[in-house]
Amino acid sequence: MQEKENVIDILERTKGAVKEGDILLLKDLSNRTVHTASIYADPDNIAVAVAVYSLGKILEREKYKEYGQWNSFIKGYLACLDKALIALRGDDLESFRQEIEHINGEISRLSGNFRVNIQQVFRKAMINKASRIYEHGISMQKTAKLLGISIWELAEYSGQTGISNVNLSITLDVKERIKNAMEFLTR
Amino acid sequence: MIKGEVPKGNLAKVTGRVPKGNLGFHRMKALIFDSSTLITLSMNSLLDILAELKKKFNGKFIVTEPVKYETVSHPMKIKRFELEALRINELLLSKVLEMPSSLGIKDDEIDYETKKILGIANAEFSSGGRNIHLIEEGEASCVALSKILSKKGIENIVAVDERTTRMLYEKPLNLHKLLEKKLHRKISINKNNLIFFKDVAFIRSSEIAYVAYKKGLVKLHNSALDALLYATKFKGNSISQEEIEEIKRL
Repeated sequence: MQEKENVIDILERTKGAVKEGDILLLKDLSNRTVHTASIYADPDNIAVAVAVYSLGKILEREKYKEYGQWNSFIKGYLACLDKALIALRGDDLESFRQEIEHINGEISRLSGNFRVNIQQVFRKAMINKASRIYEHGISMQKTAKLLGISIWELAEYSGQTGISNVNLSITLDVKERIKNAMEFLTR
Repeated sequence: MIKGEVPKGNLAKVTGRVPKGNLGFHRMKALIFDSSTLITLSMNSLLDILAELKKKFNGKFIVTEPVKYETVSHPMKIKRFELEALRINELLLSKVLEMPSSLGIKDDEIDYETKKILGIANAEFSSGGRNIHLIEEGEASCVALSKILSKKGIENIVAVDERTTRMLYEKPLNLHKLLEKKLHRKISINKNNLIFFKDVAFIRSSEIAYVAYKKGLVKLHNSALDALLYATKFKGNSISQEEIEEIKRL
């Protein structure tokens, strides 16, 4: 795992943010692993980013609290993050990964719409993080592969962001590119 | 060869040079599609313009095997994108899109060049002694095919909507700046390899849509150009608002 101390810090602060109900902080914390994920293509950093971001999204939606399984689910989710933190502090990477994976187990125990909704939150979290990594300069296909999502989902999502408006992305005068296209396609 | 005689087959192969001007025969051309461009066109229901453009194009529209996987085989298994995948597959069945073998290029040849490109591109930038892996097989295979075709004297352009591959080849120093800016750390660049990132031409779905519009292939009225260009942008084409407005003024 890359930048373990950063991940430990993120998980510790995540606990605090949950106690305080600070959703914005959770989202910010989830972005702190994006740099590492972009540089090292590190799946552990990506998994933490997705888990923390999803947690923020789940806590944000008051309606979810009406589901009967809410309390046990959120308790199980936070217990997984706690145990992952303990494992990481003890340099036990295997247990850390197992605990992060156990969050999926918590989701699979849910039923009905609640399960579908939480699965969607996780899917959207993966697409969100992929978009952030793409924004950092990693290609669309590489990023999609890293997050295990489809390039179609990433293209659709990133198109709604301001990624393409960055001036550094302009690599050839647009008039010249149009001229090249016109000549090539119609000559 | 008798002076003035036009050789049959690939002129570049015979003479070792690429012919200039009109020599009385059509040079083969190829537009190579990356997944990102096909996805943008497909999600905007604009694949029909490819069929229309192909009728007027003296060349081939090509997809590599990894691009076919990303745009047809893989999404065919995802309910949400199955229809789009079927539409792209139709273009393959009707030979609007063709595989490199239609130009006599073998997959082995592309695989070899793709690996070479991945090796160089994914070692171009590094941080803390670790290489930053920028691109994947699909994107690299398009550039690989472009290089192979150029060597064979076949004029070609790569259609790519995602920005990293385009930046890497057209302005690697911009990509370097972007990485440093976004990652908030010093990124090392292998300047010795910069020479490798050249001689590949790129267009995007926006330019394809523009040509189709100008040639009357888009059956829409009023602000069709504006709508077309922004539609590509909102489905993932890396074109800025500033560029779109400039295109509209042309």
